[in-house]
Amino acid sequence: MELIWFAFFAVLLAGYFALEGFDLGVGLLLPVLGRTAGDRDRMVAGIAPFVLAGEVWLVAVAGTLFGAYPMLEGEVLFGLYPLVVAMLLSWIVRDAGLWFRRRIGGARWRGFWDLMITLGSLGLSFGWGVALHAAATGFGSSLLHPLGLLLGLVVTLLFAFHGWIFLGWRLPGFAGAARSGRALLLSAALAALPAIGVLAGGMGYLLDHSAPPATLNVLSLMVLPFAPIMLGAQLWVWRTFRPGKDADRIPSFF
Amino acid sequence: MDVLELARLQFAVTGSLHFLFVVLTLGLAPLVAIMHTRWARSGRPLDERMTRFWGQIYVINYAMGIVTGLVMEFQFGLSWSGLSHYAGDVFGAPLAMETLVAFFLESTFLGLWIFGWGRLPKYAHLACIWLVAATAYASAFYIMVANSFLQNPAGAVVAGDRLELADFGALLTNKTLVFSFPHVLGAGLFTGAMVLVGASAYQLRRRTGEVEFFTRSMRMGVVTAAIGIFLTVGFGYAQFGGIQEGKFDGDVAAAVPLAIMMEGGNLLSLFVLLFMLPLVAVLHRWRRTQLVLIALTPLPFVLAILGWLARELGRQPWMIWERLTVADAMTPGLTSGMVTASLVGFVLVLGLLAVVDYVLIARVIRRGPRDLDLGATAEQRSPALTY
Repeated sequence: MELIWFAFFAVLLAGYFALEGFDLGVGLLLPVLGRTAGDRDRMVAGIAPFVLAGEVWLVAVAGTLFGAYPMLEGEVLFGLYPLVVAMLLSWIVRDAGLWFRRRIGGARWRGFWDLMITLGSLGLSFGWGVALHAAATGFGSSLLHPLGLLLGLVVTLLFAFHGWIFLGWRLPGFAGAARSGRALLLSAALAALPAIGVLAGGMGYLLDHSAPPATLNVLSLMVLPFAPIMLGAQLWVWRTFRPGKDADRIPSFF
Repeated sequence: MDVLELARLQFAVTGSLHFLFVVLTLGLAPLVAIMHTRWARSGRPLDERMTRFWGQIYVINYAMGIVTGLVMEFQFGLSWSGLSHYAGDVFGAPLAMETLVAFFLESTFLGLWIFGWGRLPKYAHLACIWLVAATAYASAFYIMVANSFLQNPAGAVVAGDRLELADFGALLTNKTLVFSFPHVLGAGLFTGAMVLVGASAYQLRRRTGEVEFFTRSMRMGVVTAAIGIFLTVGFGYAQFGGIQEGKFDGDVAAAVPLAIMMEGGNLLSLFVLLFMLPLVAVLHRWRRTQLVLIALTPLPFVLAILGWLARELGRQPWMIWERLTVADAMTPGLTSGMVTASLVGFVLVLGLLAVVDYVLIARVIRRGPRDLDLGATAEQRSPALTY
């Protein structure tokens, strides 16, 4: 049972990196590839249908942390206190940027929220690198440890690369070559690699700190029947918004 | 203020902000789903415009519900890790259900509903908004299960220095849950309905020409408000049957909001059931009354927050009633500096965003059902196509 919940947790965290990584990456690339307001609109519209279905993976990670690893939840989050607060604020302004940018017409309004999307994406991407380093070292080292900062840079670059490949898949010809679904899958795996590495290293520790069997049994009984529905809903999103299918008729809300 | 008070203040402020948006989400979700159902069945442009207009207000409001909710979820680990250490094996289960299943599905289906406009088959698109409403209710249910466990730790036994889950069924049939959950749903419906009424009154009073649109919206709002307030007040009083012994005795901080909420709820229910409901057929013409209806719009929000203050302040000094105090639940090592810095950050950012969000909602209401972003087709708005 502990193993099932570890697998569940690992899939959620790796899934977050793979599925939200490109959203953050496109946010990072907004000032780089989106020279004109129209370009930025197209980039945001490209990720728009995937954002809501992507960020929920992290909400689920935190929920699993609480449910399946209650003894670790406080340790992890409190151990990273300033980082978690900074990442939450980044997440908030990134989301606000997406929801608000098109609600009022002016160029300055939209420019401001586009900047918020980029800064928020940067805070989250970089923060993940630092957080993974801290987790790998047992939350003992400083959050400003050079290796952690380096990993922050690596994750940021990986997400930007993943976002770039995503744009090639979803908006062929917009930024470089058109990319196949296989290329996107590959860049997703690459983006998830740092998370998978830390999960593999921390597997024993996580298994030892699982909630007692009674709790895990209840959680399994409650959650696992919904797993196919959750997976189905995600697949539905990807099927519905794949490139091609009378795509140019659909404007973006974001 | 010492660190404990600061941490409590942080939870109270962010929690109240969160519920301001959640209460409207809970009320509007089923109403928008009903409008969408009418549109799917009749195909009438009026039904489509109602779905898009109220749907746009719903989703702008939902955005703030998400971002304030994120802060709530992570705050448990930041400030209150004593709770997960002591009772995580019990409290974690409903919280995991909410975040892992209910919210996960709600957000996924909402994305499909918003961006699937014109792309999904008609009834698949309709199914999305009903799934959004159903999962929103499921979310509310599991949060209330978790909260009710704090009020009355049913289904758990003390094992050593921790609580252990003994009976999950008892968690779901908690006496502090069975009436508070429908009470919250009723309050949501009432709040959403009063927004329909207030916004429609504003548009009708200004004679914007959308008479049929807002007459229908107002009628739907009045009828729903009557159902909502009936449920809220009924299940509100019913809760006293299952309340913890002595919860409000000599506790001024909790008794005052409780008294104001009950008095306000009673007066509002009289106004809705004895005035608005019988006069539903003529309200759209009574311009002076419309001023009153507009002025009433914020009241359900205020009462909802007062209700939470009463429930949560009444629980003090317990985090888990007669098991764990709030002071013991606080993360060891938390300092005033840490909480102050994060409190300022969260309150500043979320407060500003909340103001912006309400301005944007007010703007949609003022402009009425034209140039809506939600469900716009490419011809209506040329740039920013998705591919």
